[in-house]
Amino acid sequence: MLTVSHVTKVFPGGKGIYDVSFTVEQGEVFGFLGPNGAGKSTTIRHIMGFMKPEKGFVQIKGYDTWKDQGRFQKLIGYLPGEIAFMEGMTGKSFLDFMATLRGGVNEQRRAELVERLQFDDRTPIRKMSKGMKQKVGIVAALMHEPEVVILDEPTSGLDPLMQKVFIELVLEEKAKGTTFLMSSHSFPEIERTCDRAAIIKDGKIIAVKNIHELQAVQRKLFEVTFEHEADRDAFLASGLKIDSYKDKQVRVAVQGDYNRFAQETAKYRIRSIDVFSQNLEDIFMDYYDRGGRE
Amino acid sequence: MNMPLYAQMMKSHLQTMASYAFGSAFYILLMFWIYPSMATQSENLNALLESMPPGLSRAFGLENGFGSVDAFISGEYYGLLFVLILSIFSVMTSTQLMARLVDQGAMAYLLSAPTTRVKVALTQAIVLLTGLLIITAVTTLAGYGGYAWFIGDLNDFNSSNFLLLNVGALLLFFAVCGISFFISAVSNDEKRALGISGIVVFGLFSLNLVGKISEKLSWMQHISLFSLFNPAGIVKGTVNWGPTCGILLGAGLAGFAAGMMLFKKRSLLL
Repeated sequence: MLTVSHVTKVFPGGKGIYDVSFTVEQGEVFGFLGPNGAGKSTTIRHIMGFMKPEKGFVQIKGYDTWKDQGRFQKLIGYLPGEIAFMEGMTGKSFLDFMATLRGGVNEQRRAELVERLQFDDRTPIRKMSKGMKQKVGIVAALMHEPEVVILDEPTSGLDPLMQKVFIELVLEEKAKGTTFLMSSHSFPEIERTCDRAAIIKDGKIIAVKNIHELQAVQRKLFEVTFEHEADRDAFLASGLKIDSYKDKQVRVAVQGDYNRFAQETAKYRIRSIDVFSQNLEDIFMDYYDRGGRE
Repeated sequence: MNMPLYAQMMKSHLQTMASYAFGSAFYILLMFWIYPSMATQSENLNALLESMPPGLSRAFGLENGFGSVDAFISGEYYGLLFVLILSIFSVMTSTQLMARLVDQGAMAYLLSAPTTRVKVALTQAIVLLTGLLIITAVTTLAGYGGYAWFIGDLNDFNSSNFLLLNVGALLLFFAVCGISFFISAVSNDEKRALGISGIVVFGLFSLNLVGKISEKLSWMQHISLFSLFNPAGIVKGTVNWGPTCGILLGAGLAGFAAGMMLFKKRSLLL
């Protein structure tokens, strides 16, 4: 459905993307992960045909996105990473404008999206918060029921409730066979929706993996607070990988093996458990480390 | 050309265009209003003009004196003010229509819709030219209105000269818009586009002015497009319209075409 093939673009100063290749199948939700400045947006600019690749090409359903301007856009919905609208518009007038520009927008679908994302589309865009603008952008990307949806950092600015609504929307569309590509610098966001993810760092794709495989390498820190200090000592001796401990609290590092952690903790009276996910950078490093050892 | 885009752009720019048009109309009415009081003094004023260095009156298009209303209007309004108003309009509006949308990122939405870059650029160019046409047309109508209101019977008005003044200005600014559109279309940064476009347009304007004031620097006006709009010459009937039209239309078309082609081919940071 979407093929990125050996796309290279070097900016003056040496930054850029190098030989980026991956494919997204129809009906798949594909995550595009990387820290800020890794080349996610540059890759998406190539996918959208905003930039001319020095080498390689991007095809969506057989259309070259640089050469076939005006044709491939019918198939896609797009949410830019930097939300910027034209001046002096309200959410409604912007969506009206995009609907006429696109043609063939299902009014009912649009109204439904506005309702689910819960925003007042009569508000002038310049008075909207970042999250509100993001919602307008999401409606604009989905209202024409495109076959391929490209989202650059879709949940930035959304509150947790709206992130949940957004994830539901993506999963519903996915069930209908819509293809998604979404970039993110946050693993949890990708984890809940994506089938596969590409990891990009310093302009190079370092891995394209099934999301479960990434989940398996992700290390989580559980901070367990015990009722009794004696339990803590017994727990420390259980052989789990202990990160640190203090008073009645123990931090345990768990990587993949959640069952064992659950069994061990279940033996004691627990006051609370907090979980800290590893950030993306660390997942990469772990991934690298493991790759190096194997 | 993309109709929804054109409609939206006209909607968001019409107010500014109308402000320019009404500003210009107000000024030309003012000129017609003060003309009768100037005309009674025309001998004294002409004497005053003669006492000034010839370069100065030539620079501001005053060499036809104050004897007739079209000479007066050509010098006082089309010689300087109208040119300034339209210069500001071309530089500002062309920057807003292309470079600002790229700089702010809103262009990403336009290009994610099923259209081509050439169509988007063409539509924006037509919006710019529509604005130019509106301002010139309103000014022309205000001129007729001003004559009827303050001077007398329109039948006595030498309107062909007056019309030609407006046609001349329209042609000149077709070319100027072409140049500023080109600069705007190849820029990623709004402020930069505005700066460069301003320097080029007002630079050409100044070259013409300096070239006319100073005999020694008269070569300067020949490299400026602005010398091709000569209000005093139009009123005297000494303008050679063929080459003038050819050069101005050619320059404008080249600017618009080159702007569209480069906009199509360049990588956009959206």
